[in-house]
Amino acid sequence: MKAKTVTTLQYVTLTAIAIAFVLPLLWLLFAACDGNANQALKIPHIWTVKNFKSVFSSARNVRGFGVGLVISVTQSAIVVLCSGLAAYPLSRYDLRFKKAFMFSILFMTALPMIAVIVPVYKMYLTIHLLDSIWGLVLYLAATALPYAIWLMKNFMDGVPIELEEAARIEGASTLQIIEKVIFPLMLPGICVTFIFTFSGSWGNFFVPYILLSSQKKLPASVLLYQYFGQHGEIAYGPLAAFSLAYALPSVLFYILSQKFMSKGFTLSGASKG
Amino acid sequence: MKKLLLLVVASIFAMGQTFAQGTQEQTPQKPTITVCYRDAGLGEQETMYKWIKSAYDKWDKKDQVNLDIAPITASEGDYFTKIALQLADSKTCPDLVDEDTFQLPNDVEAGYLSNLDDLVKTYDDWQNGKYYGTMKQVVTYKGSVYGIPYCTDTRGLWYDRQILQDAGVIKAGEEWQPASWADVFSACEKVKANRPDVVPFWCNVGVATGEATSMQTYEMLLYGTGERLLDQNGKWIVSSKGMRDTLQFLQDVYVNKGYGPSLDLVLNGQAANTAFRQYFPAHKLAIALDGCWKCGNWKATGPAPVADYEHIFGFAKMPTQTGNNGGSITLSGGNAFSIPENADQKQWAFEFLKQLMDPEGGYLDSIIAQGNICTRTDILDVPQYANQPYFRLATKLLETAAFRPQNDQYPSVSTCIQTMVESVVSGTSIQDAIDQYGKDVTRIVGASNVVSLT
Amino acid sequence: MPHTKSSRFARELRQSVLLTPSLLLLVVFFIVPIILTVYYSFTNLALTGANAKNFHFVGLYNYQTIFSDPKMWQSIKATLIFLFGSLAGQSILGFFIAYFMKKKNRVFRSVVGPCILAGWVMPEIVVALCCFAFYDTMGTANAFLSLFHIAPIPWLYKHPMLTVVLANIWHGTAFSMLTYQSALDNVSEDIEEAALVDGASRRQTLVKIILPCIKETIATNTMLNTLQTLGVFSLIWAMTGGGPGTATMTMPIYMYNQGLKNYQLGQGTAIGMILLLIGALCSIIYMYLLKPEKA
Repeated sequence: MKAKTVTTLQYVTLTAIAIAFVLPLLWLLFAACDGNANQALKIPHIWTVKNFKSVFSSARNVRGFGVGLVISVTQSAIVVLCSGLAAYPLSRYDLRFKKAFMFSILFMTALPMIAVIVPVYKMYLTIHLLDSIWGLVLYLAATALPYAIWLMKNFMDGVPIELEEAARIEGASTLQIIEKVIFPLMLPGICVTFIFTFSGSWGNFFVPYILLSSQKKLPASVLLYQYFGQHGEIAYGPLAAFSLAYALPSVLFYILSQKFMSKGFTLSGASKG
Repeated sequence: MKKLLLLVVASIFAMGQTFAQGTQEQTPQKPTITVCYRDAGLGEQETMYKWIKSAYDKWDKKDQVNLDIAPITASEGDYFTKIALQLADSKTCPDLVDEDTFQLPNDVEAGYLSNLDDLVKTYDDWQNGKYYGTMKQVVTYKGSVYGIPYCTDTRGLWYDRQILQDAGVIKAGEEWQPASWADVFSACEKVKANRPDVVPFWCNVGVATGEATSMQTYEMLLYGTGERLLDQNGKWIVSSKGMRDTLQFLQDVYVNKGYGPSLDLVLNGQAANTAFRQYFPAHKLAIALDGCWKCGNWKATGPAPVADYEHIFGFAKMPTQTGNNGGSITLSGGNAFSIPENADQKQWAFEFLKQLMDPEGGYLDSIIAQGNICTRTDILDVPQYANQPYFRLATKLLETAAFRPQNDQYPSVSTCIQTMVESVVSGTSIQDAIDQYGKDVTRIVGASNVVSLT
Repeated sequence: MPHTKSSRFARELRQSVLLTPSLLLLVVFFIVPIILTVYYSFTNLALTGANAKNFHFVGLYNYQTIFSDPKMWQSIKATLIFLFGSLAGQSILGFFIAYFMKKKNRVFRSVVGPCILAGWVMPEIVVALCCFAFYDTMGTANAFLSLFHIAPIPWLYKHPMLTVVLANIWHGTAFSMLTYQSALDNVSEDIEEAALVDGASRRQTLVKIILPCIKETIATNTMLNTLQTLGVFSLIWAMTGGGPGTATMTMPIYMYNQGLKNYQLGQGTAIGMILLLIGALCSIIYMYLLKPEKA
């Protein structure tokens, strides 16, 4: 086959695949703006913002978004902080247990944490941490920590040690070095870690569903499931609008981090979806 | 940099606390009673919400106590799970909880519910016979009272008169009363032949519709064969002719003869609402096997009002398999309000409960809006209640009603029933489904508590 | 300064102090629940009923009943089908997209790339909603088929496993695509050109030169996808609830049904235990693969 034909075929195939991938999303966009949305992909007869209005005029929905953002941002901040601190000794010092520790960390990233939700529920029951935003944040932080430590250590390995040595000679303490020398240079890595962690908890609906009960404390992910779980009586328009708004932070963060993402995909910094 | 991060975390925490606490309009000294029930998606339009709110507004003690209406939005199946999760924890526990009476033995054994014996001693209406004896029985377990029943119900066949007339099943002005399962099938066949644009038969068969599948469908059929769930020795029957016939009926409706709606309509949590709020009003459904309270949907105050509904729709007794054993069968259940063991405002909760159950306090209006059968004897003859369409028949059915076993294993076994039913209508063979049911139930109750008849 | 054992230990202790916050979180909220999972799996703990108040140690009873339960094997089968379907779809599709995209027009790439990425960036439950509508009897998939005069198929009820696998492929392909893209970028162009000049066909170049070059990436990518797919819950639960019947009941859903829906918490944790062990096994394999090029 001639090279040109092959190339054309490749272009066509890619276009077809791209269209197939974008169709469900197109439905989401159209349905959100459609006064009479249903399951089919169609150009709205009536373009409207009514769906968005009905979603955001409900105090419950707005609160859900607010709570969800608070949970995810707090959790991500905690994770970045803890993993950043933990990465320093792992990256800089020669510790005998380092290899074993890193292997354990790697091992932990693989465990499907959904399997331990029952003991967590029982544990929280005993220490009265159920229906508590802080309890939820701490658990989400702990489960995101192994992967974050792995990421941060790898990023930190990429920061040259000479600058630190200069600072140490001038009498800086370890914490000061981390704060003033390493973190600024590691900004791309911090962003990647923050975003991965944020997306993980923002999209998590099962853990809040089990650990929280007050309607007021439910984040947007659970609210979305509640509306969606109505199945037979779904109001597709408002649901699509809600989903779009809900997906927005994930999309925004991703776009913001595009530059930094590529560094995370080589083998050495192997990351998880 | 780190200071900045800490500042960010601190301010988020502060924001978070405000969000997490929510806005509490109460003053710190007043106690708050929390009421929990299942919200099926209508929020403030739910009958329960309206009842609780109006009862509170009319309450003479409302200045002393705050009210927090905290429903759980979930499908019926998920509701029981979430309630169980909540009742265990004293922090998240409501003060009043809407319990389906079949859950009572289970929850009492788990230590989740308060014994109300002392409280009902001071409750005049309870002591003076204002509650039906059978209803008091239903909420009594091992000799003690664990809830105040607020409704009961019966089940039967709802039908669209015009469609059945068009199909030649009944003549104009006639009531339809099938005498056996064969009659029901022949009506479906006629509808299918003469009105192919409508769904002939609808009944709950999904796991998502939870107890509705077990009670309105499976048990209505099984009990109609003359069998029960337990044998005389209290053992669970895991294989029998009655079971096979019941599952055959369902497989015929949904798979073999195509009388039922498509599976995507019926295997979700909203199936019953789809049938009664969409299909019936649009005259796209001929017959549905469900509870007597479903007509509450069509009232002017309901979610899908239909003018003149008592002449458009009819209610018939569900026949037994062959017309023996009394000719018709119904199961009766009911809901009650219970006070959880871990609640912190038990005294106030009971006071409010008395208000809720007061006919003047809101009970009369609510029981009518619910479309359920009342549990109080003083409501029975109030014209507003008694003259509701279908009520004479529905209440008459109570006389021969059967009840679910008062066994604390029932809720778990019920979920196995639902799985069995859903498998069968999705194409699994009846024998496989029964085998699986046998294994599941054995695992829950132990091999010494099951028996196979045939 | 003499490096005595105790002074080295003291130094390491001092240096490890920064690990404390992480360790604290990990032990309390990660390790302890895992230990509890092991413990509860040997009891008959329940969510309600008599066993909620007073549960007993029942030894291996839970495990015995689980392994004699056909549902367990069904869920293992469902998990494996879901796993292989997703892996095959994501990896093959991801690879070919990356491969075809090489040296294509920049504008074209900047349009196609985001189309694929969009599915990955969406939170799982939004993916569930989009695919639920897409594969609905009145949804876009059937609308497309009707262009070819094919009758509408009730995807979620006739072919539930296929539908959720397709949804998962839509969700996860981008990750494989990105991984393969960067791996292919590292393959030197000269080798490829040399092969073509020597008369090798495109296919031979692909199979004999390129694939072997990136075989580490293939292994790592496959492993990572496996680990991620094992834990998928929300997607399947929201789309089919594990049904109809038990058609799409993968292990996480089986665990939820047994533990929470059926109130048998002891059983639920036993299943969770098995899930953890499978995850651990895969993780060990992954670490073994990663060893040669340890970061």
